[in-house]
Amino acid sequence: MDAIEAESLTKYFGELLAVDHVNFRVKKGEIFGFLGPNGAGKTTTIRMLTTLTRPSKGTARVAGYDVLNEPLRAKQHFGVVPEVSNVYDELSVWNNLMFAGEIYGMSRTERRSRSDELLSVLALAEHSDKKARNLSKGLKRKLVLGMALVNSPEILFLDEPSSGLDVTSTRLMRDTIRQLAQRGMTVFLTTHNIEEANLLCDRVAIIVKARIVAIDSPENLKMTLDASRSVEIAFKKDPSGLQDWLKASNRVNAVRKDGDKWKVFTSNPSEFLDSLVNYLERERANLLSINTLGPSLEDVFVSLVTNAGKGG
Amino acid sequence: MDMASSEVRIRPVRYLTAAWAVARKDMRIYYFRPGNLMFGVLFPVFLFFSFAVGRDLPVEILIPGLTAMAMFFGSSSTGAMAIPTERKTKTYERLLVAPIHPISILLGQTLGGFIFGALFASVPIVLGIAWFGMPVASSPVLVLAIALSSFTFSTLGIMFAAIPTESPGDIMMLLNFVRLPLLFVSGIFISLDDVGDIGLVLAAISPLTYSNDLLRWAVGGTSYFGPAIDVLGIILFAIVFLALALLLHERVRKSDRTAGKRKRAKEAASA
Repeated sequence: MDAIEAESLTKYFGELLAVDHVNFRVKKGEIFGFLGPNGAGKTTTIRMLTTLTRPSKGTARVAGYDVLNEPLRAKQHFGVVPEVSNVYDELSVWNNLMFAGEIYGMSRTERRSRSDELLSVLALAEHSDKKARNLSKGLKRKLVLGMALVNSPEILFLDEPSSGLDVTSTRLMRDTIRQLAQRGMTVFLTTHNIEEANLLCDRVAIIVKARIVAIDSPENLKMTLDASRSVEIAFKKDPSGLQDWLKASNRVNAVRKDGDKWKVFTSNPSEFLDSLVNYLERERANLLSINTLGPSLEDVFVSLVTNAGKGG
Repeated sequence: MDMASSEVRIRPVRYLTAAWAVARKDMRIYYFRPGNLMFGVLFPVFLFFSFAVGRDLPVEILIPGLTAMAMFFGSSSTGAMAIPTERKTKTYERLLVAPIHPISILLGQTLGGFIFGALFASVPIVLGIAWFGMPVASSPVLVLAIALSSFTFSTLGIMFAAIPTESPGDIMMLLNFVRLPLLFVSGIFISLDDVGDIGLVLAAISPLTYSNDLLRWAVGGTSYFGPAIDVLGIILFAIVFLALALLLHERVRKSDRTAGKRKRAKEAASA
């Protein structure tokens, strides 16, 4: 049995088709990313899986339970970190955790022990008595994660988990998600942040205009974009005719200036590098760094979104 | 961390413990909100004195009327404040994704209003006894009147909170369209003996009438309808309000009519 199963999951808001016959399965212990541009249907899908929105058609099973027919049983097995940090601002960090445990039917002793554990794991212990309204955005996000984990769920749904967080908080959030998955938890996350999906996910689904256009591991998806292999070059000082030389080269598909680096897209990096070495010797240019790069998940994402856009 | 799932069996007692958890949370968060204090305490007190001052009314009439009004406004305001506020902050969704039945959520929020109303009802009662020497004909009936009335008025607020809005002001405005006219047909300012046939028909469709009447019986030993009819009337209103609250909240939840859902539909349309 898979942790999450969606079959022909569809949602209409009036006449508007928000999610269109979406199919996917998430294995136990997997980190599954749901990527898509704004309004593609990511949040609506996660809301259907977590019983907050009723599907118009299709079925979804979470932890083996049908979310429409057995919502209470399904809810016992998952935790949710929504995009908005929905903590009770007037309650302290401790009381937020205790309340979360209480509505999951945990005894007072269980709640106290689990809340203590979560405060320690999420580095929130020193903020335990603070009211949630006085927490920074990053700390609130940690508290929401803690509240979602209070009942030790098998499955964790995260909607844009690192949205608006600083670098340190983002890293902590990602490390925590990895640790949870290592301990067997299934993680389903939606994100705009493609690098986050690339770093965290075992598999990703890309949803564009309500439909899933690709599901695979990030590396397999990258393999589908051979034309996006590239060479990244940085010089101490750019040679004067570099741009013209690059444009004239028949081994170069496209050139882009990224900050102080040149990103040269080529379908044959080794041939391009041979010609580049000759050029550098001739121009006596001072090279700072050179990297060959495969297509990024972002390239795959942009390509799929663009193609879906062209398809109407 | 132990990530093994803790299986929680869904038992009838879970409905009640979850409801009690929601009620306690509401008490901590919403009781001292300005809106609640305004509608639960200040408004009925000032309205009452504006009618009572200068009229030579006995304490057995004054205190039951004030108590009924305090409960009517206090109990019905709590859910009407809490639910739209929680929709706005998305904390209502926290309750909806937890393994608790929607009945427990609404029952919990009803309990929050019930306790709030009962607490504020006790203030005029205690003052009436201690300061004005108010008699109490039947303490058990007095307690019963407060308990039944607070619960019923709380369900009224919960029923109105089904309106799919994230603004407490929207619900309060509509609630006041109902509450304010009911004040004047419920025998608080004008005795039911003096309202005529049409007035009596109107009084019969107001839960406040039975609450005020039962309190008068508990305090002074006399009432218009008698305690049995009053108790039945209040219970009947509680059942109707609670049933309608459950029906309307469930219908709104299933129909994607909350402001947040409309926003998501708009986002999808503009993508």
